[in-house]
Amino acid sequence: MKQAIRAFGIAIYVLWIVVMVFTVTLVYSATQLGVDLDTENSQTSTSGGTVIMSVPFSVTNKGFYDISNLNITTTLEETNGALVSNSSTVVPLISSGNKVDATHKISITLNELTSASLSRLLFNDTEFAVDLILGLSYARVVPLKISTNSTMQWGAPLHNLAIGDIPTPQYHNSSHVETVLPLSFENHSFFNLNGNIRIEIINTSNQKVGSSTIQISAPSQNDYSTQLPLYLLVGSGSLKEARLYFDFPPIFSYGPKVMPIE
Amino acid sequence: MLPRIAKAVVKGVLWFVFLYVVPMFIISGLSEFAPEIASTYGKLLNVFVAIILFFVVASELTAGTIFQHALNIGKAIILMIFIVLALEGGIVALDFQRVHLVADLRIFLAMFLAIDFLGLAKSVLQAVNFLSEKTESQLPTPSPKE
Repeated sequence: MKQAIRAFGIAIYVLWIVVMVFTVTLVYSATQLGVDLDTENSQTSTSGGTVIMSVPFSVTNKGFYDISNLNITTTLEETNGALVSNSSTVVPLISSGNKVDATHKISITLNELTSASLSRLLFNDTEFAVDLILGLSYARVVPLKISTNSTMQWGAPLHNLAIGDIPTPQYHNSSHVETVLPLSFENHSFFNLNGNIRIEIINTSNQKVGSSTIQISAPSQNDYSTQLPLYLLVGSGSLKEARLYFDFPPIFSYGPKVMPIE
Repeated sequence: MLPRIAKAVVKGVLWFVFLYVVPMFIISGLSEFAPEIASTYGKLLNVFVAIILFFVVASELTAGTIFQHALNIGKAIILMIFIVLALEGGIVALDFQRVHLVADLRIFLAMFLAIDFLGLAKSVLQAVNFLSEKTESQLPTPSPKE
């Protein structure tokens, strides 16, 4: 009996030592962990129909234990909760004493958004709610999940879209008159707009009385204005609205955007 | 009885310093940048120290009796319950500033419970051993047959 009691006592001491050593080294190792988000060198690009924000980061593991299954997930949501993007980056293993450099890519595919979301994001600057979730398995036995949230500014590519007054039409031929439609917007986005805008002019009888297509090249963070040449049917009557169709492949296609003509 | 009380007081003070004063010193340092965590774990530490001190002093005062072993068994069971509650079943969630941290500490829970189970088994064996020794000592000494 006494040997059994002594054996239990020894086992308890050994287990305490193991737990204490493991705990102390784990806490010490956690303090030796460095995560550096290099937001200054973040870049934006477009690939196919996807707008990509690349944020380089590095993880330095000077601790005693490996980090496995490091998973960075970023979720972007509009202020109304509509999901805009959900992007993940996985680093399978960061061995003890090593540094790993990687890039987290936040992708936004505008053409996959709902029409309502796309409409808000194309014409209005807004603020995204950003949820950043970092998951990892420390020392292969302690899974951790760290999450935080912040906000991110979104610049609309067609901010302040406006059409001006149509000047008095001039004679073009027996069936059409010629005029121009002033069009302006501000490209607040971080990508250049290269594509076409097609315009249809509708009169008060809901008939299409003219159309025009113009090629647009609006650099990022710049204002853009142009005069669209417009040919209207003779006897069009009062004009009601302009319907605008945007085609900026491969980033987005949208239309019609209906704008009243005064 | 007086030496036993003195011994219980000394043991109690030493455990208090080891379990409360030193960890509190560390936790107070933590309170500067994570006051919520320091507050939560400060309260848990208070409860833990109260449990340990109670059982250390009571065990010392009842040394040499079956109550000492009964208290040791009680201590092991209460510590098991406390550890499960303190580690929230192994999944610990913390909030400080705008950061939310969830740690899966089930491995630690398992290790602490293993230690407590061993402590419980040891205390039961000690109680059985104590009772058997006491019973044996009360038996009449057999006289040698002529």
